[in-house]
Formats: sequence, C-alpha cells, structure tokens
Amino acid sequence: MDMNEKPKVEEKVEEQKPQEVPEVEAPKLPDTKEGKLVAEVLEKAPYAEGNVRRERRVEFKVPADRIKEFLELASEKFEMLIQISVVDWLKEGEFELVYQLWSVSESVHAFVRTRIPRENAKMPTVMDIWPVAETYEREAHEFFGIIFEGNPRLGPFILEPREYEKHPLRKDFNMLGYVKTIYGEDFDRYDESKTNYVI
Amino acid sequence: MANLEVPKELKKEAKAHDMYLHPIDKDTYELFFGPQHMATENFSIILKMDGNRVEKAIVNPGFLHRGFEKLAEQRPYFTNIALLLRICVPESDVPENIYSMAVDEIVGWEVPERAQWIRTVVLEMARMSAWMFWIMGFGNEIGLYTAGQWAAAYRERFMRLFEELTGGRVYHIYTVPGGVRRDIPGDKWLRQLRDTVEYIKGKMKDFDEILFDNYITFERTEGVGVMDKRFALKHAVTGPNLRAVGVPYDVRKDDPYLLYPELEFEVPVLKEGDSLARILVRRYEMEQDLYILEQLLDMGPPSGPYMVKDARLKALPRFKPPKGDAYAHVESTKGDFGAYVVSDGTHKPYRVHVRGPSQSHGVTVLEELLKGARLADVPVILKTLDNCPPDIDR
Repeated sequence: MDMNEKPKVEEKVEEQKPQEVPEVEAPKLPDTKEGKLVAEVLEKAPYAEGNVRRERRVEFKVPADRIKEFLELASEKFEMLIQISVVDWLKEGEFELVYQLWSVSESVHAFVRTRIPRENAKMPTVMDIWPVAETYEREAHEFFGIIFEGNPRLGPFILEPREYEKHPLRKDFNMLGYVKTIYGEDFDRYDESKTNYVI
Repeated sequence: MANLEVPKELKKEAKAHDMYLHPIDKDTYELFFGPQHMATENFSIILKMDGNRVEKAIVNPGFLHRGFEKLAEQRPYFTNIALLLRICVPESDVPENIYSMAVDEIVGWEVPERAQWIRTVVLEMARMSAWMFWIMGFGNEIGLYTAGQWAAAYRERFMRLFEELTGGRVYHIYTVPGGVRRDIPGDKWLRQLRDTVEYIKGKMKDFDEILFDNYITFERTEGVGVMDKRFALKHAVTGPNLRAVGVPYDVRKDDPYLLYPELEFEVPVLKEGDSLARILVRRYEMEQDLYILEQLLDMGPPSGPYMVKDARLKALPRFKPPKGDAYAHVESTKGDFGAYVVSDGTHKPYRVHVRGPSQSHGVTVLEELLKGARLADVPVILKTLDNCPPDIDR
C-alpha cells in the first residue's frame, strides 16, 4: 500500500451507508459466561437493559437517576473502574457517560451507559465505591463541565487556571476563536475566509 | 502551630505581581518537586514537608498537556496515528496498536496473519526497550549509574532495529488500522533481532549482580510504599504494580489479542506489595519477554499480505468506517493501556479517549503512598510505580 498515492478525482468512492436496523425486542442472552453474568446482574436490577456485544464484552444501559444504585450492585462482580468516558452528543443535546468496568475474576469488560442533558449536567459521585473515580471525575468536570456532587476536589486539574471554565472538549467550543484571543496578532495563520481549517 | 502572619508589604508585592501567598505553619514548609526535576519526568508534585518527612502530597499534572483528544477529532482516521503515538514516549507502539485495534473492531476487519505476527514482535520489542528505559531511570534514582548507562546502550540496539524496520528511532508510525505500513526488511533483520535477544539474555546476569541482587537496592526499597490487595483493586492499579500485590491479572492472558493465545509464557506474581516486590516482578517479566521473542522467531513470519485488502483504502483521507464504538486494551509495561473510539460515520473520529495506566496509579495512589515517606524515598516510590506523566496529561 502506498501512503503517498493521491486519490484520483474522477474515481468516486461509494459511501457505504450503515443499514438502519429496525427496533426489535431484546434478544435472548446467549448461554455463555457473559450471558450468565448479565442475567445475574439484571435479576437484581430490573430497571436496566443489558446485552452481550461479543466475547468478553458486555453492555448495560441505565437511567441516570438509578446509576449509583446500579454501580454499587455491579461492583460486587466488577472489581475495577477502568475509565469514565464522556461523549458529547450535540444534536441530541445530551452527554453520554460510559463507565468502563473490568472484572478480574471473570475477565469481562463492561460498558455502563447513561445519558444526561447537556445543560446543568449533574451526576452523583462514585468515589465511595471506587476511590480512583476522583481522578476521572476531575478530568470530566474540567473538560466537559459536568458537576459531580460529593467530589471535594473539582477545580483546575490539568489545564491552566485561565482555561478552567472553558470546557474545551465540548463540541461547541470555538477552538480557533479561543486561539485568536490568546495569541492575537501573533497567530498570523488564522484566516476566516478559509473553511476547511486544521490547527 | 500558629499561622505566621505575612507582612503587609509582602502581600502588596505579591498582588502587584499576580501571585498568591500560601499560608505556612511554623513546622511545615512547602517543597515544589518538579516539573523540571529529573526524577519526576516533567511531573509536578507539591509536598508539604515536616522536616524530612512528607506530611501531604498534592499532585499537580498538566505540564505535558498537548490536547491530543481534541486534535484527534479534527483529523482523518489514518492521520491520527502520527498524533496519538506521542502519548506514551518510551512505548510509542502501544497507543498505535490500541487505536488500530479499536478501529479494526468498528470496521470489522480481520487483520492478516503476517501483520498480526509483525505487530506482536513490535509490541514485545517495545516492551523490552521500555524496560531498559525504566532501568535507566531507576538506576539513576538510587545512585547506581552504571546500570542505567548499560541499559541505555542496550536500548540503542532495539532502536537500531526499529529504524531499519520503520524508518524512525523513537516514534515509528508503523501500525495502521488493517495491518502494518510496510513489510519486514528480510531474513537479515530477523537474524539481527535473534542476535540482539541472545545478547541481552546474556547480559541479564550482569543486571542482577549490579542492580536487582544488590544490597543498596534492598536497603532503599524494602518496606517502602506498601500497598495491599484491596486498596490496589479499589484504586484500579494494573500491570506489574498489581502483580506485586498478588493479583495475577495480565491482559495478554485474560483478554488475549494478536498471537498471544498461541504463545507460552508465565505471569510472575509476588505478594508483598512493597517497592522491592514491584521491581522484582519487572525483572521476571523481562525474562518472559525475551522468551516470547524467541518463540516468535522460531515460529517465523507466516506468508501472506501485511495489509487488509479493501477498496476503501484507496482514498485514505476519505476513509469512512460505519457507526459504532469499540474499546481495545493492551498490556504495556506500565499496566492496562486502553483506547475508546466512537465513530459517527464520517471520515473523522467523533471521540477518542485514551486510558493511560498512570491515570489510576499516578495520582490518588501516589498521594496515598507518599504520606509519611522520607524525602529520599519520593523518587524511589515514583520510579517503582513506573509513573508515566504523558499518560495523565495527554
């Protein structure tokens, strides 16, 4: 494969549109290790949805007001909180929080998804279940502006104090405008007439 | 322990220069450790000291923040590799691999066997050179400079092999979604790799005598920075630090990827949980890595293509995977290194989130372990945890 080969203009690559799958009822869980694990968790938490994505990958969808209850229940099976990933869905006006758990005893990775509105986003902290959540929550608060109630150390963490309440990882953050205000005339590469601009 | 009053003139002067004066007790003083200090590797810690003892440690990251996750949302999929591999400097192949594996899972590609073999070899070589890098840092902390200089010289041999394979010494933009960028140079390169592995295998005895079986090392590390099992699991500590506590968790065994299911290797576990246990676990893992490399060379590269055949690869900047998300993780020398990639069907990723292992054991765990440590033990605890600041800042 030649990385320097320029694509020909005449050759139009066909866009493969993802097929829209009609909504079907939740399929039965497979008779595997993962399926039994999901079934066990869902017995105690009927408000959640769960399915098996593939081998050693499991997924749960939980409403935002029951998230702490669910994670306390899940922490019996899943010993580790690997990461809290935040995805900013601008069109829906929602933040998606993905709590990624790992079970050392069962060797299964779980996504626990929940959605909250973008404006005045608030979540209960999970520091009392996993103390390491403090770091992940500080980062999520700094880059997205989600307030985790009960976490005492929310504040400037990685960014500088002048960048604190800008929330740069949100999709509506005006990156070029911010750079222009900081560097002013020194930033001579900025040209408003250009549309496809990459810093 | 009454607070000393700061003179008004000092306060005025500080205000004029836009500075803030911290209140100081009579018996404690503040010590700023880093970010330019050699031991911290561009990582800043604010220590509240009482004489020679640390009373409180506040981690202050951000010196290496380069905004990779924001930049990755504005570049095409294949361009991101040249960006994301700068997240982990000593092991730049790990971020390449996790990102590529996540994109492979979204698209649904099955990587050819030859590419899998090459990826496994590159990952193990990266692990080996990262161990050498770690010996360099650790040897310099406790004053055994000779071990560090030897390790730097042996790492250079791997750098040379990498340069022949990929064209770069430290940053090899080599692993791409769907395979690798180019084929291995030939049999001569394989012979050189085998010679290097055997050479370093012979040198392990020297490292034992000078560093791992040394009275100085025992004195400085035994009983320093002790963790227990429950604490480590609650704080999501992974990698050699977790195996030093007694949990046999290794991603290569528990969540196999690439060719690791076909290989034979052991997972060393110790149960003491202090600094000495951590460095000994690392020493045993070096042997296992050399053993894995020998096995791979005995297998030999399987024949076939080194890249997936797909019509969409003709126009790389406009390559569009389907909608979806995936999480892939890899066992690095620091721990469990993962990446979460979200695709919304356009030619740029919607969100890339990299999970560095030091995010868990470099902030909260470090603050806990530094309490009550001597000032001379601070670099030792930092180095035995193998804290990698670029993972935290990103």
